[in-house]
Amino acid sequence: MTENGVFPKMTRSASDSGSGEDMDETKSGHEMTPLSVSTDLGPASPNGPLRTPKSPSKISIKKRLRAPPGAAKPEETRVLHTHGRRTLYTAGRPPWYNKEGQLKDAFVIGLCGGSASGKTTVARKIIEALDVPWVSLVSMDSFYKVLSHEQHERAIRNEYDFDHPDAFDFDLVISTIQRLKEGKSVNVPIYNFATHARERNMKIIYGANVVIFEGIMAFANAELLKLMDMRVFVDTDSDVRLARRLRRDIAERGREPQGVLKQYMKFVKPSFEHYIEPSMRSADIIVPKGGENNVAINLIVLHVHNQLQARGFKLRSKLAQSSHNGQPMPGSLHILEKTPQVNGLHSFIRDKSTSRDEFIFYSKRLMRLLFEYALSMLPFKDVVVEIQPGVFYHGKRLAVDKIAGVSILRAGETMEQALCEVCKDVSIGKILIQTNLDTGEPELHYTRLPRDIKDQYIFLLDATVATGAAAMMAIRVLLDHDVPEEKIFLCSLLMAESGVHTVAYAFPKVKIVTTAVDRDVNEFFHILPGIGNFGDRYFGTDFSDD
Amino acid sequence: MPEHHEEERQKTVCLQTMEPDVIPLTKTIDDCKVPTNEAENKDLDEYNFGPNFIKLRATEGVRELQTVIRDKNTPRTDFIFYADRLIRLIVEEGLNKLPYRKCSVTTPTGQIYDGLRYEKGNCGVSIVRSGEAMEQGLRDCCRSLRIGKILIQSNEDTHIAKVVYANLPKDINQRKVLLMYPIMCTGNTVITAVKILQENNVNESNIILLNLFCTPTAAHQLVSEFPGMTILTSEVHPVAPTHFGQKYFGTE
Repeated sequence: MTENGVFPKMTRSASDSGSGEDMDETKSGHEMTPLSVSTDLGPASPNGPLRTPKSPSKISIKKRLRAPPGAAKPEETRVLHTHGRRTLYTAGRPPWYNKEGQLKDAFVIGLCGGSASGKTTVARKIIEALDVPWVSLVSMDSFYKVLSHEQHERAIRNEYDFDHPDAFDFDLVISTIQRLKEGKSVNVPIYNFATHARERNMKIIYGANVVIFEGIMAFANAELLKLMDMRVFVDTDSDVRLARRLRRDIAERGREPQGVLKQYMKFVKPSFEHYIEPSMRSADIIVPKGGENNVAINLIVLHVHNQLQARGFKLRSKLAQSSHNGQPMPGSLHILEKTPQVNGLHSFIRDKSTSRDEFIFYSKRLMRLLFEYALSMLPFKDVVVEIQPGVFYHGKRLAVDKIAGVSILRAGETMEQALCEVCKDVSIGKILIQTNLDTGEPELHYTRLPRDIKDQYIFLLDATVATGAAAMMAIRVLLDHDVPEEKIFLCSLLMAESGVHTVAYAFPKVKIVTTAVDRDVNEFFHILPGIGNFGDRYFGTDFSDD
Repeated sequence: MPEHHEEERQKTVCLQTMEPDVIPLTKTIDDCKVPTNEAENKDLDEYNFGPNFIKLRATEGVRELQTVIRDKNTPRTDFIFYADRLIRLIVEEGLNKLPYRKCSVTTPTGQIYDGLRYEKGNCGVSIVRSGEAMEQGLRDCCRSLRIGKILIQSNEDTHIAKVVYANLPKDINQRKVLLMYPIMCTGNTVITAVKILQENNVNESNIILLNLFCTPTAAHQLVSEFPGMTILTSEVHPVAPTHFGQKYFGTE
């Protein structure tokens, strides 16, 4: 096992230095080129902007053209619209479900090839040429089996065969790809090549429209093959591959030519001949010459684009058109009783001449009433408490362990404080959804949710719901995180009838809680008579204001 | 309360002679026992104290607030948190009883919304000390409302309530009054306070009492004494959580 300092250029931590270049030659092939796309899901990437090539960070490479500040590289952020003082960043994730809220499958590309054949380069080129947001790259390296102590010892002596199908946990691979195909988020293990065990933390990969799965044994399992919509084999001449390996391992990793060759002959070459090369038969497309083959890559991209187009559709315009007029309001809708106070508060916040100070004050009062109302709809249990020595009282307590608020940025954020005021210890998640002005479609840009969200009741917060497109997308995100539909409460101050119908139709078990429902939505998707742009009025970013 | 204290207090403001604490018990109230199950809880809801006696709708959420406040094992931070929530609900409900007029407003989309506006000319009066716990809740809804105070202490032996201090807005007789007192056992304190208001020419029908917990005795006492006054409470129950003020202000 090599010491840390032997590869000063390569390493930042012990686990990286041991990430297999010694004991597992095939692996080192993947470690060459860091992809030029951002790797992490949030601003808190521990690895920084992918300077250090290391297996764990390569495990999931997700391309996001617009990510929260700090996550994406600047050149990947495209500013498409500047509307007054507001800048809209487009290229979030467009809807990945139909107007009934049901999922459509992600397009899964399987990428197989021998070690050092250029799989990673091909994957990167496909991602770049595809130019669609929300592509997930999953590497098979994450799914190496956890080794026993004895196997671990053998691995250190270079005697463990990492190039055998048995070295991979295919059950986990299949369940992971299956979930990704369904557009759901997954937890991918982080394999530590120094200890040959999985790290305690998992890597979360969110659902994507295109999933690329690459690995030397990508085609080795029949069930896995079935999940792939397109199978690509990268076929590079074995001389070229050996030459690359030698250059890589000797020049960049300071290893002895003898050792590299010995390992190549003992494990890598037999494995390629036994398992990898025959799996070429399963491929739809064979890419000779690996990453340099632009013609082949363009063909692949063209096909994927056609496929995506065939699956996609315009969601919001459909939602706005879909006529629910005259239908009775759904049973999942709960409207706060219109007392004189509620009506008076509405009069204040709907009035366009209301000052911002008053707007904030009165909308907060309304939110508080809304949340008290929503809370009373949670399940309760009977309890008996002692009120004086010997005197007991039959009362109620919430039968709910934890409640989380999830706000749809930006307007939903205004409701967080009111929720915290009625709900102790509530955890808050955020989802950023913006409308792409070109297509009129909502796009998902950012998701940050509490970890154990699937066990919690969720108050989904948005100040206003017009067409319901954003709310639907947010509910879809929650469902993809395994939150049961009946545990979601969509809380808003004002909804339009069309939005109510859309959400209720797509997700009949989601409770819709609001303080008023208006009849119409205009062509700008504003509610009529409505309240105006709630976020602008609350945060003071409307243009009419001083 | 030692006698000499009582006398000191009598030097201060308004003095009020109280009738002996005779509580006219009707049959209904006589029957009232501490409920021992959910069904009896429901029975308790059936008591009717007339059209001006209003109970907050007993949702499960409200019931939870009451349970936490009543539970003697509730930590103080929780107690305050839940008490403030219940107070806010009572205050919001009380504000519904204030006068308003219809009005139309223009929304930012240029459309008309038919809503309403509240009339000016209201004020709050809290009965010191526990009534002050409700002031913040009222303040959170009406930022610049005038709030007067009345301090009443009752003799622990005789239950005779005495007014020690009262400071009210000058034009209180032209205003609607939101009188705040969270816990009513006998109702004597509130009766004394209302009499003070009446001495200041406040019409009984202009008073809205905001209360959290009320015994049937107090309820009956108040409605028979001041039939024109609006009384708002969250619960009528033979046992009132008398520790409220002490726990809220941490002077247990």
